[in-house]
Amino acid sequence: MATTIIETGGLTRSYGDICALKPLDLQVPEGEWLSVMGHSGSGKSTLMNLVGGLDRPSAGSLMVGGEDLLALSEDGLARFRREFVGIIFQQHHLVPYLTAVENVMLAQYFHSVPDEAEARSALERVGLGHRLKNRPGELSGGEQQRVCIARAIINSPKLLLGDEPTGNLDHKSTVMIMELLKELRAEERFTVVMVTHNQEVAAWGDRTIYLDDGVLVREERTNS
Amino acid sequence: MLFRILKNSFLKRPKAVLLIFLSITMGAAVATAFLGISGEISHKMALELRSYGANILLEPSAVEGGFLREEDLPKIKTVFWKYNITGFTPYLFSIAEFSAGGKKERGVVSGTWFAKQLEVPGEDSSIQGIKGIAPWWEVQGRWPEDAAEAIIGAALAKRLNVVAGGDVTTIVRGRSQQFRIVGVVTTGGYEEEQLFAPLVTVQSLLQLPGKVSRVLVSALTVPMDDFGKKDPATMSKDEYEKWYCTAYVTSVAKNVEEVMAGSRAKPIWQIASAEGALLKKLNSVMLLLTVLALGASATAVSTSLMASMAERSPEIALMKAVGADRFQISAIFVGETLLISMAGGVVGYLLGDQLAEVISRTVFSSTIVSPLWLFPTAIISALSVAIAGSVVPLRRALLIEPVRVLKG
Repeated sequence: MATTIIETGGLTRSYGDICALKPLDLQVPEGEWLSVMGHSGSGKSTLMNLVGGLDRPSAGSLMVGGEDLLALSEDGLARFRREFVGIIFQQHHLVPYLTAVENVMLAQYFHSVPDEAEARSALERVGLGHRLKNRPGELSGGEQQRVCIARAIINSPKLLLGDEPTGNLDHKSTVMIMELLKELRAEERFTVVMVTHNQEVAAWGDRTIYLDDGVLVREERTNS
Repeated sequence: MLFRILKNSFLKRPKAVLLIFLSITMGAAVATAFLGISGEISHKMALELRSYGANILLEPSAVEGGFLREEDLPKIKTVFWKYNITGFTPYLFSIAEFSAGGKKERGVVSGTWFAKQLEVPGEDSSIQGIKGIAPWWEVQGRWPEDAAEAIIGAALAKRLNVVAGGDVTTIVRGRSQQFRIVGVVTTGGYEEEQLFAPLVTVQSLLQLPGKVSRVLVSALTVPMDDFGKKDPATMSKDEYEKWYCTAYVTSVAKNVEEVMAGSRAKPIWQIASAEGALLKKLNSVMLLLTVLALGASATAVSTSLMASMAERSPEIALMKAVGADRFQISAIFVGETLLISMAGGVVGYLLGDQLAEVISRTVFSSTIVSPLWLFPTAIISALSVAIAGSVVPLRRALLIEPVRVLKG
């Protein structure tokens, strides 16, 4: 039986009077690909931010990889993010004045020691071996997303989080990115939590949960 | 990696970097210039202030019969503080009766040096006398050049109705001496009631050869502080040494007193304290201007960095999201600012050095030599400006929440 990597109990996040995530009980086994679906404002990004240690819950418990995230300090959460989590953003969020390889090395730098050869290898794995020295402005949306993926996996995270990673891509690029993620997951065996509002993208996961107004309303197994 | 981040950050944001660089450079330049000329200004101002008159009075001590010896005077130029003594002049005076054109008046006859060439073995030749230590005296006519020539105070001249070119007979205890008046002197003080004649002539008139009543000494001194005001008799050996080797007016007076047999040297406090207060205020103003310049510079740096931080908040948020802790974020932004400040410090030093030179030439018509400590001071000033200017922007940067900045 697989170990549980994410476990929440009554996890809640409020912003003033607005409750973005109502008490949520969730378990994610290690190695699972979980898709989180819902409309805009349903609380799916809030959940991802909490699980990734980017935000703090208002109430409840949150264990990720054996770490009680509520007990961690600001710098403790930073350490958790760099050692345990890889994040792929919808807007890519690459540093504009660094090249593709330097953007990947940035994550290495904050984690431990930058290794250019390793960063090149990561970019080659995502099919960008020919774009190492290009800056984000010189790359297409799909290419930028692949740099983002290389940066997310460079430190061998246990948990890969995706916040609408294909939200800005066309269908062809979306399929390429999803296939790439599937390959990488098979090799690296990380757990994936992917927020999306695209049913087709959600179908790449093992399980999909549906949030509505901050409440888990449904979940289903997929046959990817 | 840090170097790559810094290098690329500089190259991609040249305007922001230039603005911070200029702010730091200006601060360092002004600090360098002010600190560079402050020492020079104190020295020059002290020299200028010497025109206010002598600041040390040398009188006979009571036990020596009321007179000093003229032959001891050259020793004043041999003392430890000889280079600080800018001039001195002896006086021998007496109440006298003056007559001119049938008029008779009582007044004071003073024998003195006007501009005596003084040769001291082993020392540079110098000119000593009233002309040097009382440059504010206004003489209508000319200074005496002969033993029987004199200048007369304006008030006494008026009472005797005498002008330059006239003769005045001076009578002291039945002995008389006729002087040709070659100038009428206006000082605005008690000197206007006196007749000034060569010392040797008055010594002869008073039958006091080689004697002087008092000596006025003009010396460059440092402002008095609490330590300088302490009584030397109560000082420990080390304290006395420190006091003696500091150019307080009291220690210079003591130094002069030691070489003049039977003398007692007293600071002329109204001159010494006025000078001290002025120099102290001048130094305070220079320091205040320096601090204000650095403060303005730090504010400019802070404003530029705040704008830069606002522009770079997505970058900072991203760094935090991928795991940068507060130390790592600080290292990048403080590193950037310190590198700029080092460059600003070097350029600021070079500019400030030139600025100090220009100020010195314009105000004092002289060049200055920058002290060695000025370069590290400029660098430290620049670093201080950078650090002071970085505190608030860095705090803001550390408070950036990735989840708010990176959403959607």
